[in-house]
Amino acid sequence: MQEKWTELLHFSLPSQPGMERVAMERAAGALHGLLSDIALERLKTAVAEGTLNAIEHGNHFQEDLPVEVNIWYSPSAVRVNIIDQGGSQMIPESSVPDIDAKLAGLESTRGWGMFLIRNMVDEVRITGDGQRHTLELVSYRESNP
Amino acid sequence: MNGKVLEANVRALPGMACIDLTGEISAQAEDVLNQAYEQAMSTNPGTILLNFNGVEYINSTGIALILNLLVKAGRSHRKLYSYGLNDHYREIFRITRLSDFMRIFSDENAAMAAV
Repeated sequence: MQEKWTELLHFSLPSQPGMERVAMERAAGALHGLLSDIALERLKTAVAEGTLNAIEHGNHFQEDLPVEVNIWYSPSAVRVNIIDQGGSQMIPESSVPDIDAKLAGLESTRGWGMFLIRNMVDEVRITGDGQRHTLELVSYRESNP
Repeated sequence: MNGKVLEANVRALPGMACIDLTGEISAQAEDVLNQAYEQAMSTNPGTILLNFNGVEYINSTGIALILNLLVKAGRSHRKLYSYGLNDHYREIFRITRLSDFMRIFSDENAAMAAV
């Protein structure tokens, strides 16, 4: 059966450091009461990390390039789309960070963003149309303990 | 918009140095965190204890900064402990496996008892 989605909120932010916190708080305000407290905290982290990726890797901190955030809900899930203007270059799929290698100095201690996102929500999709990247985050409304 | 800049206060405890953290641990926190760590190291403690009670937000870059402290502690054969994490960040420390390398306590007394 086709999921019926209702739009809750749509906003744009400039690509400035710190805007991921604004995205996170605005998403949390819109989604209050639709998820358990635990699921909402997880989704907040995913939204912040997704927005940070869009600002940093998609829009390369160009303040005039917006990051768009669209939030929907359905009877069974909530969905947040985070869209940057990153062009045709796709955001690479990250591998699982190897903390042993990081502690041994064999790789950078950074690189946790996509890993956190994938562990904080139920579904993650990354798509592109040649001009924009869309990161889609879905949290089920009843699956999170 | 900038969030709450991290503030750090270093104090001595028996056998350890405690760094009380307040604010956000993100890219902007790097200098504050590193300076606090160096100040804590100046007392030559066996253990450095991070107090996260006042921390409102940790992002992926913050995870990397904490990992940097773990690398430094390991190289100088010191232990890095922590307390004051809420349930959400405890989960993140577990998922990232930070908690495999940094003992997490419920409060300062529990951490001191482990030294």
